[in-house]
Amino acid sequence: MDILTFKENLFVKGAELGFSDMELYFQKNGKFSTKIFKGDVDSYNIAIDGGVSFRGIFEGKMGYAYTEKIDEESISFLVKEAKENLAMIDSEDPEVIFAGSEHYDELDLYSEELASVSNEDKIELLKKVEAECFALSEKISSVNYCLLESHDSEKMIANTKGLEKREKGNVVYIFVSVVAKEGEDIKSASKLVLTRDFSAFDPKAIAKEVVEEALSTLGATSIKSGDYPVILKNKAAASLLQVFSTAFSADNVQKGKSRLANKLEEAIGNSLITIVDDPFKEDGFMSRSFDSEGVATKRLNVVEHGVLKTYLHNLKTAAKDNVASTGHGTKGSYKGTITVAPSNLFIEPGEKSYDEMIAGEEEAVIITDLQGLHSGANAISGDFSLAANGYLVKGGKIERPINQITVAGNFFTMLEEVEVVGGDLKFALPAGGYVGSPSLKVKSLAVAGE
Amino acid sequence: MLNQAMIEDLITAALSTGGDFAEIFVEDKFNTNIALVGGKIENSISGRDYGIGIRIFHGLNSVYAYTNEHEREKLIDVALQAAKAIKGTPGDFTLNLTRQTLTNQHPIIHKPREVEKIKKVNTMREVYDIAKNYNELISQVTVGYKDEQQRVQIANSEGRFVEDERIRTRLAIQTVASRGNEMQTGSYLPGAHKGFEFIEQLDLKHYSEEAARIAVTMLNAEECPSGKFPVIIDNEFGGVIFHEACGHGLEATSVAKKNSVFADRVGEQVAPSIVTYIDDGTLPNEWGSANVDDEGEATRKNVLIENGILKGYLVDKLGARRMGTESTGSSRRESYKYAPTSRMSNTFIAPGKSTPEEIIANTEFGIYAKYMGGGSVNPATGDYNFAINEGYIVRDGKIAEPVRGATLIGNGPKTLQKVDMVGNNLAHGQGMCGSASGSIPANVGQPMIRVSEITVGGRKGK
Repeated sequence: MDILTFKENLFVKGAELGFSDMELYFQKNGKFSTKIFKGDVDSYNIAIDGGVSFRGIFEGKMGYAYTEKIDEESISFLVKEAKENLAMIDSEDPEVIFAGSEHYDELDLYSEELASVSNEDKIELLKKVEAECFALSEKISSVNYCLLESHDSEKMIANTKGLEKREKGNVVYIFVSVVAKEGEDIKSASKLVLTRDFSAFDPKAIAKEVVEEALSTLGATSIKSGDYPVILKNKAAASLLQVFSTAFSADNVQKGKSRLANKLEEAIGNSLITIVDDPFKEDGFMSRSFDSEGVATKRLNVVEHGVLKTYLHNLKTAAKDNVASTGHGTKGSYKGTITVAPSNLFIEPGEKSYDEMIAGEEEAVIITDLQGLHSGANAISGDFSLAANGYLVKGGKIERPINQITVAGNFFTMLEEVEVVGGDLKFALPAGGYVGSPSLKVKSLAVAGE
Repeated sequence: MLNQAMIEDLITAALSTGGDFAEIFVEDKFNTNIALVGGKIENSISGRDYGIGIRIFHGLNSVYAYTNEHEREKLIDVALQAAKAIKGTPGDFTLNLTRQTLTNQHPIIHKPREVEKIKKVNTMREVYDIAKNYNELISQVTVGYKDEQQRVQIANSEGRFVEDERIRTRLAIQTVASRGNEMQTGSYLPGAHKGFEFIEQLDLKHYSEEAARIAVTMLNAEECPSGKFPVIIDNEFGGVIFHEACGHGLEATSVAKKNSVFADRVGEQVAPSIVTYIDDGTLPNEWGSANVDDEGEATRKNVLIENGILKGYLVDKLGARRMGTESTGSSRRESYKYAPTSRMSNTFIAPGKSTPEEIIANTEFGIYAKYMGGGSVNPATGDYNFAINEGYIVRDGKIAEPVRGATLIGNGPKTLQKVDMVGNNLAHGQGMCGSASGSIPANVGQPMIRVSEITVGGRKGK
């Protein structure tokens, strides 16, 4: 059954059950992924999938249900389940099916050129990446992850208020992880490159960066426990910001789960810190012209020179605070309900390069990698205590690699104690939102080692 | 679900380019998720996952395709597209699918879809009330309820054809205790391979109060000191540390390609002789159990480490090909969207002889981790990290003041060598384990154990 017929029949059935306003969210994805291991295709995956989510208002409450099977039988399943679900809801918050924004920007998120690249060409490129890694050093004992994935997706929101929006996008990324070995010492490093422009992949450059990182960590040992000035390298800073970006969600603020409650227009960080949410960012993994409620998106300064300017809102949280939605109504997929999440959120880069930042330090610890973020960081309180790797800086130069340390602090205190914001913006692996940061020099964090 | 003739046609199409093995996985799953926040039911969502996974091997090459199309022509087309990636010589083969009847080892009393949602909601309200009223410092309680009813069909070109149903139910109790600007959290997430009877039989008071007590205790705790200390890890979810630090390194996923520190070491002493480590997917109605794995092989009890000697690994079909061995019934996947691979089910350290009291009394100074949080491990190096959710200082053989913000870091194989006491109070805890084939329910377990030295990262300094 085609999706438009499905929609017509669904809305008719829903009206029969008494739903006043209704919405259909439809998503269809195509995916190709492949892994190379020692020159051979180790895995080759293709997929076509998707699903629909129905939501509708009955007596002021919103009911949700979804299915991956798009057939006649599913129509009665969806409306029946949605009606049962809404009967459980206590929340008295007003529910809205959105009629549409006045203006939507047109985004070019779909590359015809990328869509035309053959799977064979993708495999050839990936084989080169693996070969380059091995060619660069005999100490590379294995390339334990050499993956390419390309996605295309189409989403549609259609409702009984007359809104019908569609958006199509595609993207490709490579993820490589190498293992370096010297005697008994084993170290690994990984790298993600994400783009919409296939010709931008440079196998030599990708291999060089990841191999050099792995080699540079060989021979790492711990350091003496104590408080150190810290340079959080871009990737590590981004992964930390990602965990704590939930504090900007108006939903968390309203539910008492954010330290940023009642802080609007107050300084929450050093004046060097400006945090932007940009749904139009080119090569942004979460770029979109409308959010999951159909609200038009826009670029937003969340924090401006240290001052908190706004929370991230969907329609419901905005209504509660008596403001307009910021276009952050987000559905992880058709399986979820509407939450709040950033699009492409990042700390605006400064001037100094990473090397210049190092040159400016007499003694400091560089943190390149943080582990256990899902368990060692408390998104509510801001406290973190995380396993980390990095380098020791002495006299403005990297002296040696370090590992087997933990770094601890409080994210919100840290924002106030940032002394330098680097110019090297980089994004963490997408999870919820796509979050980035340049390298940050922080006055002091507690490092536990020897 | 598909009929046998359809499955046979899909296998035939999948092998049309010379593949030497093909497998069809059909999944039809109903899910319910309900969330209660601050005393009010905030979300209730239910839905149906449905799709088909097609896998083809050609030697060590594997191709996987999935779709939630359900019409015949489209499915055959997906199978043919997947087959195109195989460059072999089509041979003659005869397919004789024999439907296997399973004896269900995990009986279910109340299937989730036959229980009214209001009953589920009422339980959540009860849990909320207990946790919220535990102490006036409790400022927020969130209760999640989740059930799933998954029917699968698994068939392959070797003639296997099985159907299974997996039913799971879980509660997630999360608390926040606050004073001024300070907030600490507590949680408990019990679950089982059971229907609503799991909730009916559950000691709601115990789990709700524990979740609240942890948050309050941590609010009143000091920052944990850092350094190298003896660490006592209590039973149940404490087993997560060996799940991450050893379990993942024993999966064919990393062993077959020699990316694991445990590769090629069967027969070697990898742990003190007091350590026996087992993975058992047959434990009746446990969270990580099932009748068959996601390749249709019967689950079994696999002894991985016996009295400190490495005995074997967790192996799936593709891993078995690479390693020249047999499957151990350990192949799992989150859904039809993932090719299955070797994973843990219910993994635990077998009980030893010491009583918990003896272990504490024998420790002059150290850290006692009553409840562990999550963590992760780099399988290539064995380096791990874990959060302690509720920790204490042990002083002069007694549990002393609570400490918060502690992280344990170390190297799995090395930590394993340092286990010096194993308790007699084995218990299991429930978790979701994320890896190559998605996020799957897995039990971790152990009795109380002591490790002679682990690096503890805290914010108090030395």
